[in-house]
Amino acid sequence: MDFSELKNNAEKELEKIVDSKELKEFSDKYLGKKGEIRKFFSFVKDLALEEKKILGKEINEFSAVLEEKIVEIEKELKKAEREKKEEGEKIDIAIPGKVIETGHLHPMTQMMREVGRIFELMGFTIVEGPEIEDEWHNFDSLNIPEGHPARDALSLGKTFYLKGGNLLRTQTSSAQVRYMKKMKPPIRIIVLGRVYRYETTDASHEINFYQAEGLYITEDASVANLKAVLQKFLELFFKRKVEIRLRPSYFPFTEPSFEIDMLCTVCNGKGCSACKRTGWVEILGAGMVHPNVIKNGGLDPKKYKGFAFGIGLDRPTMMKHKINDIRLFHSGNLKFLKQF
Amino acid sequence: MHSFEVESVEKKGTDYILNIDVLPDRAGDCLSHWGIAKELSVLLDKKMVIPAVKLKKAKTNISLSVKVEDKDCKRYTSMVLTNVKIGPSPKWLKDRLTVCGLNSINNVVDATNFIMLETGQPLHAFDYEKINNGIVVRKARKGEKIVTLSEKEYVLDENVLLIADSKKPLALAGIKGGKGCEITEKTKTIVLESANFNHKLISQTARRLNLRTDASIRFENNLDPNLTEVALERVVSLIQELSGAEIASIVIDSYKNKLKPWNIKLNTENVNRLIGIDIPKPEMVKILTKLGFVVSGSGNILNVKVPTSRQDVTIPENLIEEIGRVYGYDKVPAVLPPFSEPAIVNKEMYWQNKAKDIMKESGFVEAYNYSFVGEEEKVVFDLKGEELINPVSNYYKYLRPTAIPQMARIVKENSKFFKEIKVFELGRVFDYQKEIMVLSGTVLGEDFSLIKGYLNILFDRLGVEKVSYSPLAKSEMWNSKKTAEIKINGKVIGHLGSLSSNLMEVLMIEDAVFFEINFDELQKYCLDKREYEQISYHPPALRDISGVVSEDLEIEEIVEAIENSSNELLKSVEVFDVYKGKGIASDKKSVSFHLIYQSEEKTLDSKTIDSMVNDLLNKLKQTINWEERK
Repeated sequence: MDFSELKNNAEKELEKIVDSKELKEFSDKYLGKKGEIRKFFSFVKDLALEEKKILGKEINEFSAVLEEKIVEIEKELKKAEREKKEEGEKIDIAIPGKVIETGHLHPMTQMMREVGRIFELMGFTIVEGPEIEDEWHNFDSLNIPEGHPARDALSLGKTFYLKGGNLLRTQTSSAQVRYMKKMKPPIRIIVLGRVYRYETTDASHEINFYQAEGLYITEDASVANLKAVLQKFLELFFKRKVEIRLRPSYFPFTEPSFEIDMLCTVCNGKGCSACKRTGWVEILGAGMVHPNVIKNGGLDPKKYKGFAFGIGLDRPTMMKHKINDIRLFHSGNLKFLKQF
Repeated sequence: MHSFEVESVEKKGTDYILNIDVLPDRAGDCLSHWGIAKELSVLLDKKMVIPAVKLKKAKTNISLSVKVEDKDCKRYTSMVLTNVKIGPSPKWLKDRLTVCGLNSINNVVDATNFIMLETGQPLHAFDYEKINNGIVVRKARKGEKIVTLSEKEYVLDENVLLIADSKKPLALAGIKGGKGCEITEKTKTIVLESANFNHKLISQTARRLNLRTDASIRFENNLDPNLTEVALERVVSLIQELSGAEIASIVIDSYKNKLKPWNIKLNTENVNRLIGIDIPKPEMVKILTKLGFVVSGSGNILNVKVPTSRQDVTIPENLIEEIGRVYGYDKVPAVLPPFSEPAIVNKEMYWQNKAKDIMKESGFVEAYNYSFVGEEEKVVFDLKGEELINPVSNYYKYLRPTAIPQMARIVKENSKFFKEIKVFELGRVFDYQKEIMVLSGTVLGEDFSLIKGYLNILFDRLGVEKVSYSPLAKSEMWNSKKTAEIKINGKVIGHLGSLSSNLMEVLMIEDAVFFEINFDELQKYCLDKREYEQISYHPPALRDISGVVSEDLEIEEIVEAIENSSNELLKSVEVFDVYKGKGIASDKKSVSFHLIYQSEEKTLDSKTIDSMVNDLLNKLKQTINWEERK
């Protein structure tokens, strides 16, 4: 047999191969143990040495070429087969994602953490204080003595009293004096927690609600410090530049006292429905700690000055999430709780 | 921005109403047009003009005896007018009163109301003819009655201050006049009262009688006792103008302890230090002087004399506020305090937050419940605890001693909409007046071991070791067959299990597992420490052992005995069967455990393992009387 004829046949057959099965057959036919090329070798060994050398080289080269081609075709065939398979496995990407159940923290927990986090950055330590208080800590220690109109306004009609004596704290400020006695100035604390008021509940009134009370006491605290700390807090809280103003106000436990207004973030002070057309939103109450309160905390009011502020947390949480009914906070309704 | 907030400006007829929110500390001088005018004069730097007073004397003198028998009446100033013609008020007066929200009655009553609005001093007019033998200011007798001008009868006690005559009460001092000596069309001679009372007493009486009037609201706020005479002259002058009346008596004035101006020493450096600004001293003096304070002294120390109309000003800080607000807080710069020390991490809140995060990671939803439970929960759950004197309603009558009833309600209400419910709360409950932080929760379904798994994750992640579970003896609330006591070091810190079948029936709720753990106790064992445990690349070997032990022996105790009798190659002990009944003595139980042995250094051969197990069984026989079952 002529080797060039074998070569021609092989090359022609190779071109016609369409799948892996045919390729395997081809490979067996030519390169297999009993394949055509082997057969040819047995024919070659009877040839003269010189001829043997030349033809042997030619056969080796050709079988190398064939092997290479087979690998190449195999690759192509596999690729085509993969593509064909993938076509059949195509998924519908419009399919809805499965509902995954995860845990949720109460929106008020998230709010308290955020407020606490910001004040911690400014060096304030977070504390809690008791919810059951005596009259002295809830009123007298805060310079609200018996007969004081503010005492009457709070104690008659707004305060829950217990059969075994004592009452439920009406504001987190009641912890102020407790911590003044426990700590040494400089004192920087944030009291976070639940407070109680006697209310007829409706969409905006609750008997349980939440406050953050700040207290800062050093030898040289000033209104300027108060202004800066609150402005910084509001900026970090709202994640934007804010402008605040101090309006004179009255609280028995601070002197001077202020209402802190923030330039309305909705209209930037132009006046809109969110700020009742005033351009400003009342955001919290604050003031310089009254000397009597410092004295009640066991410190010398001549030496120590301080500022305090109180923030109701229900309203900002409702505003943040556009919650329209304060009672949802204590509803235990999973349709509500799972949204946060 | 300097004094008060204007709540609204409203046009009424041809007039305007400025609705001003007067702060409580300034109610003593600013619940009046004069007070507001004074503020405006200071802030706008304008002069304030007070209306002139013209008095006309009658020919005849009428005597009136006034006896102040009680020290809660600080001053009683009065005057008798005669030849009064009672009639309607002129239009200007009627309009003024209407705009300010008062009804027009007649010229005399309207004049007293008008001057009250003007000066802040409440005034009252009595019909002189209806007073028997002069006026006495005294406390009421228990059971004494009065019918007020609004025809309502009040039964009084010794805490109520009265204006009376020798026979009957004439008025509730500082609050409201009585029907008995009302001004009528026939009235010819009147007694005008301009008095001052103990503000605390008036506040409490008005609230107790639930009768707060324009007069009582002003008296509640420590009015200037030196105002009575000024206001009396103003009202007499106006009544003369309106009704042609003439003065028929001297000014009858009972004023034992005259209030005199007092002095406050003010250090100007302290003013600037507290505000954090630099206000020049002359500016401070100017502000205080315009406000009516008399300032003297040199250097840094000012001697400030406070007018009696400003009883709210008693300490230097009050004066600092006066200076600050008039000067303008908008001029105060914002200056951050210097950094001193980082915040101290509150350990309690740290562990609370960590526990909340772990529960959330396990897929629980955090709920907040009220601190209160109602009469119904108390009865159904057989609860004991602190009762409120003044609950809002029967639903919020007691401080909750546990959150389980609220968790049961959450299961009940949400199971209509959710197949999977996993809820927790970390909040305070109350053992009478003792506050206890508890972690409570519930999972819908009856899978006790699943919830136990969640709690094990919690304990593990909080670094709490030595938690054990043991059967619950007896309980009203819990089903003792399906509930475990959770213990640390032998002390019960909580419960895990199902509610009693009786409760389930009453509440009509789906099967659910509940838990409640005393977090104050748990927290004592929390530890922020986690050590890497060697990973072994050698295969573990499993051996099972079964044996009979005394029925009383708790699983935890057996596990402990197994661990104590083994070496470090024993990696895990897990109970997989507990059996009582046929084939086992009645005071015994059969228990089976999977034991896993593993070495970090080599593959254990079966000979070694068998010898360890044999050794263990021998020891168990001695320690817990273990009888092996083959």
